[in-house]
Amino acid sequence: MVHALEEIHRLLKPTGILIDIHPVAEASPIEIHQGGKIDLAGDLSVRQWCTDYQEADIALTEIKQRGLFTFERERVFDSLTHYDSAAELRTSLKEAIAKFARESQSAEEAVPQVEALAERAEELMQAAASGADLIVRERTHISRLRPT
Amino acid sequence: MVIRIDPENNETRALFDMTDFSGQHVLEIGCGDGRLTWRYADKAARVTAIEPAAKLVALAREHLPGELRDRVEFQGVTFEDFAVASEPSAFDIVILSWSLC
Repeated sequence: MVHALEEIHRLLKPTGILIDIHPVAEASPIEIHQGGKIDLAGDLSVRQWCTDYQEADIALTEIKQRGLFTFERERVFDSLTHYDSAAELRTSLKEAIAKFARESQSAEEAVPQVEALAERAEELMQAAASGADLIVRERTHISRLRPT
Repeated sequence: MVIRIDPENNETRALFDMTDFSGQHVLEIGCGDGRLTWRYADKAARVTAIEPAAKLVALAREHLPGELRDRVEFQGVTFEDFAVASEPSAFDIVILSWSLC
């Protein structure tokens, strides 16, 4: 990661800026929204993903300490992904895990968690009237860095 | 299957809060299917968007709006290979789009 940031430093004009966007290393709530009411199906937490997000934070801190970039601005926002059904959620998350598992075996450990969350989401969606919205909420960090 | 990512435009607002894209040459690293690219490309002078997954690059090219064809270029390449072949000081803005991790 640090090497990639060094290369970005080289590719940027001296007056340029780097914008990094990546999720915060914490669990993501899975919510069912209906008529202003929000029910929580559970929290999705894939250990390896959180580790990767933490490593991204560490890499950014390292390049700042080395004086390659200065942080000019940062904030956190919620990125919401909407699914029409619990089946969609299950398929999408399992695909993401399968893709990740090709790079890291430990992602597979999250599959039972995804199954349990999808089942709970399905129960809540069935209990809700039509028009309920299934949402995964990811806290996401965005920062603006200037090459020095 | 219809999955809607950030229909609230929270990410777009955060991005525009960080910088002004007007007249800028942008490199987006890890553009995926172009989901984020479409949201700022009309404001930039030129966008080079790279993504190693060929399937996603094909989707991005397929869905590239006609009015952006003269300013957005998608490349199916890893950042390592792209960087080796690139001149220094080429970009005004680099976006790491969920790709540092």
